Amino acid sequence: MSKKRNIAATLGTLPMYLFTIVFVLGPLFLMLALSFFQVDGWSYKAVFTLENYISAFSGTYLQTLTTSLKLALISTVFVILLGYPFGLCTSFLSPRMQKFIMTSQMIPYWVNSLLRLYGWIIIFRANGLLDKILMGLRITDEPLKLLYTYPAVVVGMIYVLIPFMFASVYQVAGRLDYSLIEAARDLGASRTKAFLSVTLPLTLPGLKTGIVHTFIPSMGLFFIADILGGNKIVLTGSLINDLLTKAHNQPLAAALATILMALTGAICILLLRKPEHERQ
Amino acid sequence: MKKQHFKRILALVLTALLLSSALILTGCGEKGDRTLNLFTWAGMFPDELLRDFEKETGITVNYISFDTDETMLQKLQVAEGGDYDLIIADDYIIEVAIKEGLVQKLNKKKLPSIDNVNPLYQGQFYDPTDEYTVPFGAGVQTIVYNPAKVDIDITGYADLWDPALKGKLGIISNYRVINGMALKTFGYSYNTTDIYEINRAGARLTELAPNIRLIKDDNIQDDLLSGEIDAAIMYTSQVTLAKMTDPSLEIVFPKEGIGFGIMGMFVPVNAPDSSAAHEFIEYVLDPERGATCFEWLGYYCTFAASEEHISEDFRSFLTLPDEFNKEDMEMIQNVTAEAEQAHLTNWTMFRSKCK
Repeated sequence: MSKKRNIAATLGTLPMYLFTIVFVLGPLFLMLALSFFQVDGWSYKAVFTLENYISAFSGTYLQTLTTSLKLALISTVFVILLGYPFGLCTSFLSPRMQKFIMTSQMIPYWVNSLLRLYGWIIIFRANGLLDKILMGLRITDEPLKLLYTYPAVVVGMIYVLIPFMFASVYQVAGRLDYSLIEAARDLGASRTKAFLSVTLPLTLPGLKTGIVHTFIPSMGLFFIADILGGNKIVLTGSLINDLLTKAHNQPLAAALATILMALTGAICILLLRKPEHERQ
Repeated sequence: MKKQHFKRILALVLTALLLSSALILTGCGEKGDRTLNLFTWAGMFPDELLRDFEKETGITVNYISFDTDETMLQKLQVAEGGDYDLIIADDYIIEVAIKEGLVQKLNKKKLPSIDNVNPLYQGQFYDPTDEYTVPFGAGVQTIVYNPAKVDIDITGYADLWDPALKGKLGIISNYRVINGMALKTFGYSYNTTDIYEINRAGARLTELAPNIRLIKDDNIQDDLLSGEIDAAIMYTSQVTLAKMTDPSLEIVFPKEGIGFGIMGMFVPVNAPDSSAAHEFIEYVLDPERGATCFEWLGYYCTFAASEEHISEDFRSFLTLPDEFNKEDMEMIQNVTAEAEQAHLTNWTMFRSKCK
């Protein structure tokens, strides 16, 4: 019986494995190989070179990596600050309210993310919604010109990324055993102490997954910086896009993509590594 | 029970198969009709014109659109010059397509109206003897500004560096155009391959950073009209839209010279129905229809015979001014990989400097 089940399981998962090998690992391998090739006109030739990595680490291009890291870090911090309490508190609500919040979380995602970003343009642009409200309330006298600035980009990033954090935290918080918090309180722990020593450690896995799910995409979401930042914040993704669509330099684009992936990969491994005492 | 389930599924699958084969068969029935596979950017022609063409010739237009010239070339390469009957794309990519043998020579006998084309747009680098292409719309990069909000007189590219424009300028994100503008302020060619010249212009460009409010290709005219920016470098179609909405805007033909881009119609080497393509070219070469096309497109009219049919509202910015000198125009051409890379590096550096 168990043997039969094993065969069935193998057969069932085989397509997925094949899919992963052909469509995920395959392209990744091609990209890695391409990053060591030489440019040749608009194309490339299979001659080994380290030139692409040398240019990738040269001043101007390296700067896009630090810009990307900086924006990803800032966005992730804000997403933690806003998304963690949101997910946690939602799990304390009545099941009906939880359902309501989950649904209202999802509804905006029926609309394409690019369109939703254009919504932010309407809010941020000169004499737009935000300006009208602020000027109507006499808080400001003239348009703020918030569109095409760094804060506008950060808001856009938070907006797109927050659901990932919410979902991860909410899932873990939903399984939280409240009697543990009550026990801590009964034994004299203050609210803060109970949160820090019980709630936080127990929801930490959700927070960590949330950070990974926020950080990885935030390294690549260059279109937000392009649309809301007026193309002035040059992320590595944007540079790769330029290299592919305008400069016809696929090997350098591949090298930058490889570096970007290695960097995000390393950060994820660091985050998801289990602490020493949990490893046994 | 289970068996019944299976039967039901089988019945469903069979019905689906039957239906789809019926569809395929009816598809075959129409095979006698001719189709023009037109491959270009979305919205290049008014719908009405395409429908009239279908009615008058009985040829069905199958409009297939691409986003960028590069995607077009890739698809054409994969199709080995087949699949499409007529393509409209930018000059520099046509040069590559011709070099790769993906384009067929036009049959001029089927194009009696070819003389309607404005010779100014002929004999260009991508097709020096006009054997392969018919120019369809030209764009120049112009400066447009709102005189009510800009205190200085802008006559050329160099004026854009004026501190009076701090945080007020918007530019398109084509780096060959923008880096080229800096090259022009030194009197260099758009197409120089001298790395020293390119880098000198690149350094000059970084000094423009404080004036830049935004860089974008799509609908930059909206930002000018909404007051987000007060001056901009934009494409011709955007200039047309801006000027149509706000006639008080000033258009400047930079005194340093003008960068030109031409779109061309060409027939791929293995086009399934090249005569349908010729019929279509001939159809739009008609002076009045041509005028309709350019009014719709908002690019410079490349058919001399159509100019007089363009309505007064559009004529001033869809045809070149009388005082225009052919010597002042320079087309942006493909450069060496080394020069291209230098351009991209300078462009990336410049963008990073913009705050």
